[in-house]
Amino acid sequence: MSKMTRRSFTQSIALSLPAFAGLGRTAAAQTPQKVQIGLLVPLSGIYARPGTVMRMGAEMGIADVNAGGGIKSLGGAQLELVVLDCGDTTEKAKNAAQRMVAEYPNLVAASGSYLSSFTLAVTEVTERASLPLLTLSYSDLITERGFRHVFQTSATAGAQAEMALPTILRLAETASGRRPRTVAIITDNTAASIASTKAMKERLLAQHGLEMVVDETFTPPLADATPLVQRLRARRPDLFFFLPTVISDAKLMLEKMAEFNLRIPTISFGIAIAEPDVLNTVNPRLLNGVMSAVANWGTKGQEELIERLRRTHGEPWMTQNAISTYGDIWILQGALEKAGRADRQGVSEALRTLDGGPARYFPGGEIRFDEKGRRVGAGLTIIQWQNGVPVTVFPDNLALARPAWPTT
Amino acid sequence: MTEPQILLEGFLQALAAGLLVGAIYGLMCVGLAMIFGIMRVINFAQGDFMMLGMYVAFFILVGLGVNNLFGATIGPYVAILLAAPVLLLFGYLIHRLLISRVTGARTAGLEGEGHYAQLILTLGIALVLQNGSQVLFGSQLVSIRTPLSSAAWEIGPFWGDFVSVFINKGRGLAALFSVLAILGLWLVITRSRLGRSLRAAADNPEASTYMGIDVDRAYRTAFAIGTCITALAGGLLATNYPFHPFVGLEFVIIMYAGVVLGGMGSILGAFWGGMTIGLVQQLSTLVLPTQLQNTAIFVCFLLIVILRPQGFFGRVVERT
Repeated sequence: MSKMTRRSFTQSIALSLPAFAGLGRTAAAQTPQKVQIGLLVPLSGIYARPGTVMRMGAEMGIADVNAGGGIKSLGGAQLELVVLDCGDTTEKAKNAAQRMVAEYPNLVAASGSYLSSFTLAVTEVTERASLPLLTLSYSDLITERGFRHVFQTSATAGAQAEMALPTILRLAETASGRRPRTVAIITDNTAASIASTKAMKERLLAQHGLEMVVDETFTPPLADATPLVQRLRARRPDLFFFLPTVISDAKLMLEKMAEFNLRIPTISFGIAIAEPDVLNTVNPRLLNGVMSAVANWGTKGQEELIERLRRTHGEPWMTQNAISTYGDIWILQGALEKAGRADRQGVSEALRTLDGGPARYFPGGEIRFDEKGRRVGAGLTIIQWQNGVPVTVFPDNLALARPAWPTT
Repeated sequence: MTEPQILLEGFLQALAAGLLVGAIYGLMCVGLAMIFGIMRVINFAQGDFMMLGMYVAFFILVGLGVNNLFGATIGPYVAILLAAPVLLLFGYLIHRLLISRVTGARTAGLEGEGHYAQLILTLGIALVLQNGSQVLFGSQLVSIRTPLSSAAWEIGPFWGDFVSVFINKGRGLAALFSVLAILGLWLVITRSRLGRSLRAAADNPEASTYMGIDVDRAYRTAFAIGTCITALAGGLLATNYPFHPFVGLEFVIIMYAGVVLGGMGSILGAFWGGMTIGLVQQLSTLVLPTQLQNTAIFVCFLLIVILRPQGFFGRVVERT
């Protein structure tokens, strides 16, 4: 055996380096990199609970996509969730978004941020970073600003009010034999609530021949609901539209109405009044009959998913926060498959041109976005508290129970 | 109802709500007054001590079976009373282990009499309590449920068949307990040997030492009582108000505003400061949009600070 000199040893190493480099490339192709998706939701402060449920939905979605073979167009790349806490104020949400885009340059898309007020602030940051963001928030403003990288899966607040009002009036007329004529609106001053009531106050009430006898806006959280309920007692409306985003406000309002012996059919918008936590604080008797128009909810055909959420996370029912965030992950899976590359621009472009057919995890419409970034044909669900559970009662094809008009 | 009847009922109802809410705010403010008003310790964790009081009362009620033993009506109040000594001990330990290092004789030579260190330390304690509670108790909203929170005593009608005032039973009892607790504390502070030593230690620590008073112990006791009183207020509030680990943030500013309004160093002043905040918060809705409720509190606060900087009851009034 000839003795290897220092020069020949160096030459051998130099000659073999390209081979090693090639080996590395082959190994990388065989083991696809993970694709990072951000979830920017409130995990601390008064909105921590909905944020936690959104995280559950996202984790279920990630697990299901990965179990199904990951992103096939990327060689079976697995999705990885990056979770950030956007806190309980718009300032914290904006700071968290800045942290997200700075610290996670490999994120290809994100989902968030529960409250419309947060989403409005967060998308100012994600838009500048060209990071596509899917949101379940309602405010019309989110997709009114000409942003190219924001995609709204829910029907906007204005559209929801437009869809919900005739349905509720028809229901009232059918069940009670009398068309409501006067309404009260009590809303908090968060962006989605304001957007919902704006459409009603400006057009819809007049279009449907309704007179508004109480119009109150409050800053959440309330310390006491007495002055607001006093207005209801004085004017006795036929219908009461109540739009809280904090559960404590729902509790204070419903308990104060019971205390004042007021039995007015109560219709909400959004999920605050139907969160499982409501049962920790409010007597189910006070909730019975209360309705809410929600952009998404656990519906007929999702029983297995609802059961899995109950089993794995202990959630008694599937709220919008869980199902919409779960659906977001599947939308992103479709966009990644279409893009065939794991970068923001590719995913954003794919989302703009995506045509995923009828929506499976959202009520009505398709998995397709219009030029503003709104999901085409997005519908809504109307839920109602019945026997201690908020169940979907509208639309008929997705309903899990028949609606009942609350007795006055 | 006619418009005058609506106006009168609205006023009476807002007044009643203001008094009931104000009584609880007053009790919270008295707890802080013991610590901030008298001992001059800046305590940003006071709201979180209140939160702990809520959770301890909740777990005594549900976890120790007080609910089963005393029923849903009396049980919550028994649990709240049992939680108070737990928080008294907690306050005592927090002072002994942490706060004592940035208060009293040790801080005599420090810039700002140790207030900077107190600020940082109590903010740290607040963060630990908030986030620790979220880890331990979760982010779910809970409340001390009682049927009294949705029941009322109806007083009236005063004008024909109309104009009644509804007094929420839960809030009414909470207000009654608040007033009793403040009267009890006032008697202890003004009539007992313990109260005299607390006042002496707060007024002139050096002279108190010469008179044989253990100033550190007096400070510790005052801190423990302040923590206990605020926790008691938290428990009473929780019978009507759902809570979560961050609930203290919603009330800590109100507590400081109440103490300053009432007059630094005055126990009764702090109560009236809290009561004023409750009344302004509720009565302002008669003339201003409801969403400006909390703005009205701070406009009123600024006006009083400008017109009467020493607050309603200055320290001099309390001590003479």
